Formats: sequence, C-alpha cells, structure tokens
Amino acid sequence: MTHTNHHNKRALHSRQRNRPLWRRLSWSALGVGMMIGIATGLYGAWVVNPVVEVNTEPWQLAEPIRQEYMAAIALSFGHNSDLTKALDRLLVTSPHRVDPFQDLADTACELTQTGYIATNGGLKAVRSMKTLYQLQGRAGCADTFIQLALQPTALVQIELPTPTALPLATKTPTPPPLVLPTSTPFTFVVPTAESMSQFVLVNVSTYCNSAQSGWIEVYVQGVNGEGIPGQRVRVRWATGEDTFYSGLKPEKGWAYADFTMTLGVAYTLEMPERSEPSTQQLVATPCTTEQGTRAITSYRAIYRLDG
Amino acid sequence: MLRFLISLLIGLMIGLALGLYLGWVPFPVEYVNSPAAALDQSYKDDYTVMIANAWLQDRDTELARSRLRLLEVENIPQHVQDVTERYITGSVFIDEIPALVALSDALGRLTPIMLPYRQAEGTP
Repeated sequence: MTHTNHHNKRALHSRQRNRPLWRRLSWSALGVGMMIGIATGLYGAWVVNPVVEVNTEPWQLAEPIRQEYMAAIALSFGHNSDLTKALDRLLVTSPHRVDPFQDLADTACELTQTGYIATNGGLKAVRSMKTLYQLQGRAGCADTFIQLALQPTALVQIELPTPTALPLATKTPTPPPLVLPTSTPFTFVVPTAESMSQFVLVNVSTYCNSAQSGWIEVYVQGVNGEGIPGQRVRVRWATGEDTFYSGLKPEKGWAYADFTMTLGVAYTLEMPERSEPSTQQLVATPCTTEQGTRAITSYRAIYRLDG
Repeated sequence: MLRFLISLLIGLMIGLALGLYLGWVPFPVEYVNSPAAALDQSYKDDYTVMIANAWLQDRDTELARSRLRLLEVENIPQHVQDVTERYITGSVFIDEIPALVALSDALGRLTPIMLPYRQAEGTP
C-alpha cells in the first residue's frame, strides 16, 4: 500500500514537470496580477510620468483664450475673405464639434453676454464673427445683441468756440485787459449718434420692495415694445457716474438693465448719445413695503425707440 | 503557493507593460485649459498673422498690441519682427508677409529685409 502511494506521488510530480508552463500557471492569480499591473501602468503613464505637453493646439486652450483665437480668425477673414483658410483655422479650434461655423456663432453669443463687446475692439471682433457665420447661414444670439450697437454713426460738424484763457490774476490791480475773450469759430468733427433723442424716456414709476431695495430698473424697448439688448445706460449723481447695459440678464429679458442706488443720493438717467438726460431726479429715499419692512424706493424706467 | 505567486508576478509584469502602453500611446493625457504661451509655434505665428490682417483693417496699433498680449510674449514688437523675418526667410505663406511687415513697421520694427515687401504693398 505504502509502495503504491509513493509510486503515485512520483508519477504525479513527473506529470506536473512535464506539463507546459501555461498549464502550470494559476489563471486567477494571473488575472489579478494583470489587473493590478494595468492599473499601476495607467497611473504611471497618466500621473507619475505623463506625456509632456508640447505642440498645444488651439482647441486645447483655456476657453477665454480659445474665444479670442476664434475672434482673430474672423477678423482675419474680414481682411482677406479667404473662406478656406478661415475654415481650416476654425477646425483646429474645435475639432470635436460637428459644425465649426455654428461653434463660431455660439462663441460670439457667449462673448456678447460677457460684456466683451463693451470695448471697441471686442465689438469689431464680434461683428467679424457675425459676418463670417452669417455668410455660412448660421445664426446666434449675437445677431440680435449687437444689432443696434452696430448701426453706423453719422459724422456731424459742430461749431465750437475757441476757448481763450483770461489773463492770470496778479497781486496788483491792473486795468481790464485789452484783449477780451474771443469766440473764433473753428470746425471740429466729432462722431455722434444719428440723433440725440433716438430713445425717449416714456415712463418712470416707483415701487417699494425689500428684495429689490433701491434699484433702478431700466427697460430699453423698440418701437413695438420689444427688448433691445446691448444698449448703454448711464446714471449720474453729484460725485460720479456709472454705465451699465441692457440684456446682460437674459432671464429678465433683453430689455432689462439695473443699477443699485445709495440711500439719500439723487440720480439722473440717460442713454449716452441716444437720449436726453432725464429731467426727473431719481432719489433713493426710504420707504416701507406692504409687509411693513423698511427699504429704499426703487424706480422702473422705460426707454422706447422714438419711431 | 509558489505557483500562485509566480502567476501573480507574471500577470503584474504583463499588466504593467500594457498599462504603460495604453497610457502613453493610444490614450495619452490630453491637456486642456492651456495658456496661449503653450501653443505650438506655428499657431502662435498664425495668430500673429491674423492680428496683422486685423490691423490692416483698422490701423489701431494699440488694439493689435493688446490682442497680441494673449500670447504672453515678453516683447511684442520683437515677437512680430521675429515672425515676419521668419516668414520672409522661410519664403512660406508669401501672401501673409505684407500684413506682417506693415504691423511690424507700425510697431517700429522695420528691418532692411522687410523693405521690399513694404514697397511692394505700398504700405505707409
């Protein structure tokens, strides 16, 4: 019996030695090892020793920089009208997007909503973007946003008197100067809007609300009451002024713009070069809401395009 | 036990090699939110060309300068000069050279090598 067992063990060892390597492995251990190995390898390749960043392409840029790059493409197109080149350039800014021109329209829309068009350069850039994508039949919110801002301004000639300084005061009394201030007219060319009263302040109402305490809400509307975004509104007070734009809070409509007043300060309202300053002063006075809470009087002003 | 450990070790080695290959070759790290300074030189050059074209339209040198600040180069006139001279000496994209020369000139960097292109275009 013992002899038989011993013989069987030897036979078993002999068979195991003769088996090929792959049959002697533990598949479960091999699988676990591979999974751990792949995880470690990926960690090493992505975290410990990642591929070094070289040859960065425009699509990899941070979003504001990519937007500027796209604006430059449109500006360049505005000069050379080379559509092929513009398309080639757009493709490297958004290779994962299906329609580069619609991407351009969307980017222009985003730029208008960030106040980018508040500067002359930004407005030019968005106008170029708009031209490029509209030529390709695309549309975006920038179409309406800068519609009026892009209206050409007329040149008018204003006759201004030449200011002549009075002689400086001296310590000893002197007779009246022989040279009196003159008003020699000369031509001075300045760009202005078509008219000083394109918009008319049609209504100003007040309300008292603790959630909107001391607000000036301005609505800039077209002839038929439709909201017009991108319009500059200015408030002035005794020691300063501030400018804000309609349409920057689209959730409140394209016509909407607002400003928060300081208690006790009186303000005048105007749309620079597009309306006369308001004759009525908007004074931030204390008020009591219907719920009995204290707040500052708010104003709601409506400017309408003078049809 | 020995059989288990050897199998685990072999699996680890194969997995490690496979993981590194996958992480470096087919699925490498893709950088996003990169600064403009990291742009490939060819795209920096192309951006400069685009701004030069824009400058030809409005002749606003300060605006061109502010647009080029995006590239985060230390010396913008020098950068424009370098790009212009590289385009001229490389004789590539010849149709873009006059715009670059004009902008370089506006930034006070008109060098002798640029003169023929300036004259050819009749830029001021």
